[in-house]
Amino acid sequence: MPTPHEGSGISGRHGPVRAPQGIAGGILLIALAALALWLTRDLDQGTLNSMGPAMLPRWLAIGVGLSGLALIAFAFTREGEPLERWSLRGPFFIILAILAFAVTIRPFSFGGITIPGLGLLVAGPLAIIVGGYASPEARFRDLLILALSLTPFCMLLFGDLLNLPIPVFPQALAELFPADWSQKAVMRVTAAVLVAGAFVVFFTTRGSRKTTIDVADHSGRI
Amino acid sequence: MKKIALALAAVAGLAATGAQAQNYPSRPITMIVPFAAGGPTDVVARIVSDHMSRTLGQQIVIENVAGAGGTTGITRAAQSQPDGYTIMMGHMGTHGAAPALYPNLKYDPTKDFAPIGLAAGTPIVIVAKKDFPATDLKGFLEYLKTNGEKVNMAHAGVGSVSHSTGIFFNSVVKAKPTMVAYRGTGPALNDLMANTVDFMTDQIVNVAPQIQGGNIKAFAIATPERSPVLPNVPTTKEAGLEGYEVSAWNAVFAPKGTPADVVKKLNDALVKSLDDENTRKRLSDLGGVIPTAAERTPESLQKLVESEVARWTPVLKAAGATAE
Amino acid sequence: MGDLLSNLSLGFGVALSLQNLFLAFLGCLVGTLIGVLPGVGPIATIAMLLPITFGFDPTGALIMLAGIYYGAQYGGSTTAILVNIPGEATSVVTALDGHEMARQGRAGVALGIAAIGSFFAGTVATLVIAALGAPLTKLALIFGPTEYFSLMVMGLVFAVVLARGSILKAIAMILVGVLLSTVGLDLETGEERMTFGLPFLSDGIDFAVLAMGIFGIAEIMRNLDHTEHRDVVRQAIGRLLPNKEDFKQSYKPVMRGTLIGAILGILPGNGAVLGPFASYTLEKKIAKDPRRFGRGAIEGVAGPESANNAGAQTSFIPLLTLGIPPNAVMALMVGAMTIHGIIPGPQVMTKNPTLFWGMIASMWVGNLMLLVINLPMIGLWVRLLKVPYRLLFPAILMFCCIGIYSINSLPTDVMFIALFGLVGYTLIKFGFEPAPMLLGFVLGKLMEENLRRALILSRGSLETFIERPVSAGLLAVAALLLIVALLPSIRKGRDEVFTE
Repeated sequence: MPTPHEGSGISGRHGPVRAPQGIAGGILLIALAALALWLTRDLDQGTLNSMGPAMLPRWLAIGVGLSGLALIAFAFTREGEPLERWSLRGPFFIILAILAFAVTIRPFSFGGITIPGLGLLVAGPLAIIVGGYASPEARFRDLLILALSLTPFCMLLFGDLLNLPIPVFPQALAELFPADWSQKAVMRVTAAVLVAGAFVVFFTTRGSRKTTIDVADHSGRI
Repeated sequence: MKKIALALAAVAGLAATGAQAQNYPSRPITMIVPFAAGGPTDVVARIVSDHMSRTLGQQIVIENVAGAGGTTGITRAAQSQPDGYTIMMGHMGTHGAAPALYPNLKYDPTKDFAPIGLAAGTPIVIVAKKDFPATDLKGFLEYLKTNGEKVNMAHAGVGSVSHSTGIFFNSVVKAKPTMVAYRGTGPALNDLMANTVDFMTDQIVNVAPQIQGGNIKAFAIATPERSPVLPNVPTTKEAGLEGYEVSAWNAVFAPKGTPADVVKKLNDALVKSLDDENTRKRLSDLGGVIPTAAERTPESLQKLVESEVARWTPVLKAAGATAE
Repeated sequence: MGDLLSNLSLGFGVALSLQNLFLAFLGCLVGTLIGVLPGVGPIATIAMLLPITFGFDPTGALIMLAGIYYGAQYGGSTTAILVNIPGEATSVVTALDGHEMARQGRAGVALGIAAIGSFFAGTVATLVIAALGAPLTKLALIFGPTEYFSLMVMGLVFAVVLARGSILKAIAMILVGVLLSTVGLDLETGEERMTFGLPFLSDGIDFAVLAMGIFGIAEIMRNLDHTEHRDVVRQAIGRLLPNKEDFKQSYKPVMRGTLIGAILGILPGNGAVLGPFASYTLEKKIAKDPRRFGRGAIEGVAGPESANNAGAQTSFIPLLTLGIPPNAVMALMVGAMTIHGIIPGPQVMTKNPTLFWGMIASMWVGNLMLLVINLPMIGLWVRLLKVPYRLLFPAILMFCCIGIYSINSLPTDVMFIALFGLVGYTLIKFGFEPAPMLLGFVLGKLMEENLRRALILSRGSLETFIERPVSAGLLAVAALLLIVALLPSIRKGRDEVFTE
């Protein structure tokens, strides 16, 4: 008999269930299969001679569902892994950061709300700072410096060097500059300003570390 | 953070309305090509825009936004600011066949655009595997009639040029071959060369090298005149087939509401590009047909779009071809 | 033979000109750079750099673009090993054991063996193309829809062997992968399938989006759970280059991988994606202790990496000799050639011998340059792992977002990596492995299309798969492999069925 894992969040060790992970996985697969079957309900299955669009997805979904059932069945007959502990903080902030990037990089409208395209200038730091909080060890100052130095690096790398068509800054910013300035000149100046900002933050806040306590720092790092 | 975002949003919104036309263009222009880079439309766009950039004094940046037979890219371009900084390369599919193929299309090819001008026509060629029993178009049509569904016709997927023009061909000659779909022209041509499928219709740029190399045979070219790239291939009319003249044309459009003087500037640049020796040579090496002076105006492009929509809609609807 | 020598000397005459050497170097450098950046693929970069090449002669331009292509393949492996984000279908396998090696402090060894294996594979593949390119073209024409379907079935069996844990879970993941690949417009009828009516799903799910989500983003979420995992990476750095023992373990896998990759690369329907998987399967099956695989086995990096590079190289054969592009990057090369006034097709070899042989010779030159560029960089990459994870992961996150956005300029793609990240995290938590799912996804589309095509052509007769000799042979191999994979677990008795 294996002993339950240390720190396994949900304890599924009581009763007939011997592999809680198998149950959860099985349910997930069956749900997925049901979703696929429901989504393809209106499509034609066709014949072997001319297969319809639904034939393969439907059979695959049935296969997925059967695998799910088998997993559940096995969960009662033999020992398996317990469920691992879930952390919510990591996924939450990571997803939030990616979504923040997605809605700000170019004009985006959803329902009645329209967000103007703010470009990499805003989307990049947003992703870094919001994403950074996924770790309990996050410090705002460090993330700010990282954002202020990595964003101009990416602006120059992707916009200038690789020439990828990625929006770099809001159009409004370009109009603050003299009209005869080229897009690239504006980009370079903006990047320089950001880097300068990074230096300013770095030097002006050097002593103020004490405010954050490394609660989660038990990893043996120097 | 939120406050800054809101302020920025307000500034951006204000600035966008105040676009000025007289010193246009003052920054790079984005040309949306609604297909993957490297395809025929992309190649035409790059060749034509290269010289246009020099006339306009600003770089034209090609942005490939592929998807849903080109309608994803065109939808985005149609909804962008009509300031002349976003233009697009439309083609027979996006501005002719799309309304019939996509019932939920978010734009109307005849109403939602400011046409700039026609860039190039790419003729359609009827090609078959090299072991095909017939030697000319007459024999081919004969064979199609007697063998019906036994004949396999390849196409590059619903919504592709070879699909639309193939359906059109079948309706003109009243043939009912079995349709075999491929993802793109490459794999379809490969199976044509391997004698796995029997025939297809596609753009000259895709098939010409294989015809010249003797890997496949061509029955006819669907244009009024023969192409210098394939001088031995007769036109459909010469070969005795009336009513099948199609070209996968490419044309430059701007979103509706683009100022008239901006349209004029872009059209001038396009016309100059099409007069350039280098551009002409590169286009005609591909088998492209360079539009005449009369065909290059925005007005004639508008007429072309209207006539193309009118031509494709009944043909494709009758064949039941939709990509919902 | 004399022909080959004179052709090669013609080629090297072209490739070794100062301008072309410089362009090959530039291409390899840019390629490595974009390959390392997660998400940014060679397609977007080559498309953007096309206008720059207008100024060069066609040969120089194509040499540079080809350099970007194999440079990117190379750089992609670096990211797969260091941060477990496979940028291309072909580096999924590298991530399995390569990243595990990095976690054990052997990132340098993994990168080194990948670089050296790739160079060997590149050299052999160049010779293969030069000597056998034209005759091998015929192989491309033997493979019709029926044969492709059988090949893909064999590939899916590889995925079962690939799995580390429960075989039942692996099969479920493969099925899910194939199911995901059917999302989007149906190719034959144009009907929407499982798209929820969302327009951006109508072309299906992008491989890079799925891979980055379930590998890259999910990996970040998982690392944030376990502090101990990532610190192993940071603490022990270990040797930077492989030693004699490592070479002894890997030279055979490198040779086998090269052979497999080179053959599969010639197939026009993107058979090259199978190369690394096939090589990994082979190595795992013939290894004395298959349990080491997935836990940092050097053979699991050496073989697939060689197969990957050999395949990348030989996939130029259908392009150069037939004018048929086997994958999206090659399609772009077709575009590049046409823009430069060379229409790819069977005539290129005779009409433009300097271009044809110059490109082939430059492939070897490019491989050499990649070795020269990359070996010194290993130290730098390994040091990157020393950056505290709380700062490293936000940076990776931003690079992922930018990279994915640059593929299609679609914010929805960026949102999807978040969704798939969550899916991947859930799968890991439930004990499923993402790799078989990704392989199922890659092969699924090709499999369904070719199945339907084959059945249309055979007018519904399933016998077509056994009647055609090549197809029958492939299916027999697949059946055999499946039995070999399942037997040990069946023999172990009822209690452990479906666990390896």
